[in-house]
Amino acid sequence: MSTEMMGMGGGPDERQKVSLTRGDVQRSFWLWTFFSHANYNYERLQGTAFAQAMAPIIRKLYKDPEDIKAALKRHLVFFNTEPNVGGIIHGAVIAMEEQRANGAPIDDDAINSVKSGLMGPLAGIGDSISQGTITPILLSVGIGLAAAGNILGPVLYLVAEVGIMVALAYFFWMQGYDRGRAGVIDLLKSGALDRYLTGAGVLGNMVMGALTFQFVHVYLTLHFGFDVGGGQVKDFDVMRDLLNPIVPGLLPLGFTLLTWWLLTRRRVSAIWLLVVFIVVAMVGAFPIFAGPDTPFGCESILNAFFQPETCVAAPPAS
Amino acid sequence: MTRVHDPGRATKLAALVSVAVLGSLVLAGPVLAQETPTVTAGLLQAALVGLGYYLSNSPWILGIGGFFGLYRPLVAGLFVGIIFGDPVRGAQIGAAINLLYIGFISAGGSIPADPSVAGWVGTALALAGGLSAEQGIALGVAVGLLGTIIFFTRMSVDAVFAHWADARAEQGDISGVARMNWLPPQIFLFIISFFPATIAVYAGAPVVQDAINNLQANAPWVLKGFEIAGGLLPAIGIALNMRFIFRGSVIPYFFIGYFVSVLSGGGVNIVAVAILGAALAVLHVTFLGTRPMEPKGAEA
Repeated sequence: MSTEMMGMGGGPDERQKVSLTRGDVQRSFWLWTFFSHANYNYERLQGTAFAQAMAPIIRKLYKDPEDIKAALKRHLVFFNTEPNVGGIIHGAVIAMEEQRANGAPIDDDAINSVKSGLMGPLAGIGDSISQGTITPILLSVGIGLAAAGNILGPVLYLVAEVGIMVALAYFFWMQGYDRGRAGVIDLLKSGALDRYLTGAGVLGNMVMGALTFQFVHVYLTLHFGFDVGGGQVKDFDVMRDLLNPIVPGLLPLGFTLLTWWLLTRRRVSAIWLLVVFIVVAMVGAFPIFAGPDTPFGCESILNAFFQPETCVAAPPAS
Repeated sequence: MTRVHDPGRATKLAALVSVAVLGSLVLAGPVLAQETPTVTAGLLQAALVGLGYYLSNSPWILGIGGFFGLYRPLVAGLFVGIIFGDPVRGAQIGAAINLLYIGFISAGGSIPADPSVAGWVGTALALAGGLSAEQGIALGVAVGLLGTIIFFTRMSVDAVFAHWADARAEQGDISGVARMNWLPPQIFLFIISFFPATIAVYAGAPVVQDAINNLQANAPWVLKGFEIAGGLLPAIGIALNMRFIFRGSVIPYFFIGYFVSVLSGGGVNIVAVAILGAALAVLHVTFLGTRPMEPKGAEA
């Protein structure tokens, strides 16, 4: 409530109404979209970015220096959410500030509770949408193309990802402003987001499955030589003669599911897996068991588990 | 992009391992026989890589074009490839490195690594060393773990600028508060990201070249190990993403995607799989609804 208004002694209806234009709300949106993580830090996370995004709003709504100070401090506190979907909070807060500047009884607590109450849930939903589904799906397509030597892979990813994210962020920001606080909660409860997430889950699983086959390589080249009589030795390759005829591609699938199981069910940290896998790969390649007597014709016995091409036919005895 | 957690013991161990790996490469380097390097990194090229790395963390490309664009090794690889005159190989190496970070979520619980530095510096070093895409993954991973130092430095120091903003708020200085959110933190970020990345590429490229030549001559099994690791590590990136989506009624689609690829043999067309997936997604949502898959559990 500005002091000059009080001085005039007029009621709320006599106040000059300050209203925001679409342009003000959009200016705030772009400030946030550009600078949401410009000063990301452990103490406030996106706190100062929230204040920067509110700058055009505060400048337009408040003229009294005390009101400006209070508004700046109000929006410099700890804040952290997913920046695109979470923009719905900013939209709702802008709507509340506008009402407040026009005399509605909205105090600091009301605004703070919307910010701190919604930022957690929207971080969860938003990360699931942007980092958990849209980004990996588009990355999968881009990686699949690029690995085949097509530089359109990264280009397509970049264009589609940025286009979708900006559109999504703008949509949620404006939804927040137009619907206000109550409308935001209705939207979250409506199930519309669940529907999109489920659909994205179908698509995400499909491309992730394809990607697994394309990029995860696990070989088992265990050989057995059977003496079939007459000096003939029949070569029996476990992968070629036993596993692949049953289900082709079983090993990479099993290995990926094992990794998933370790990560989620056994709560093994990804870093440990990283270290273990690299060590396993190095041990697998290390020729410590190599020698002229190696039965499989490999540099290393363990090598046989990973790389068929290093374990071709045993060198002929000279 | 939400909560960030401190590096645990495993992270520190992994950082030590990567320091050890890179350190031994550095020590091994000079001993080796010199061959013609595949790609040489001039100062300008190194600086362009450093600039790209800074931009990927900066707000200047729509904000979104940074974190969701240049930050990804797939995109970084293409640009590094262009810088070094081989866009196709750059994109291939970047794509391979990106596999590990496909499930990267900048929130709690994910790999505390820096995909961006893995993409920019990792691709540049892999190109310089003449590594294959699969061999490049392990190199990118090691660089990416070291990059977390820059992230944690930034996250700690930037808190200071929040207090500078507080002081301006006390004076009711709207522009001052807004400026504190970008000007000082971006100058600081430029210093701690541009210079280390530039130096890493400029000074690191010959070292990596020597080390790779050395390994090729004396211990080819290490390169073979890189290659084997390149076949195993993508499982981690994929599994990290599966934590979010491999749940409830949509689990079968993972197997459909996998075996559609198996049946199509070596030539998987990922775009075709994605179109099939989109069609199935519409069918699934239309006929089965949403109930079984909930967004919870995405502990962000």
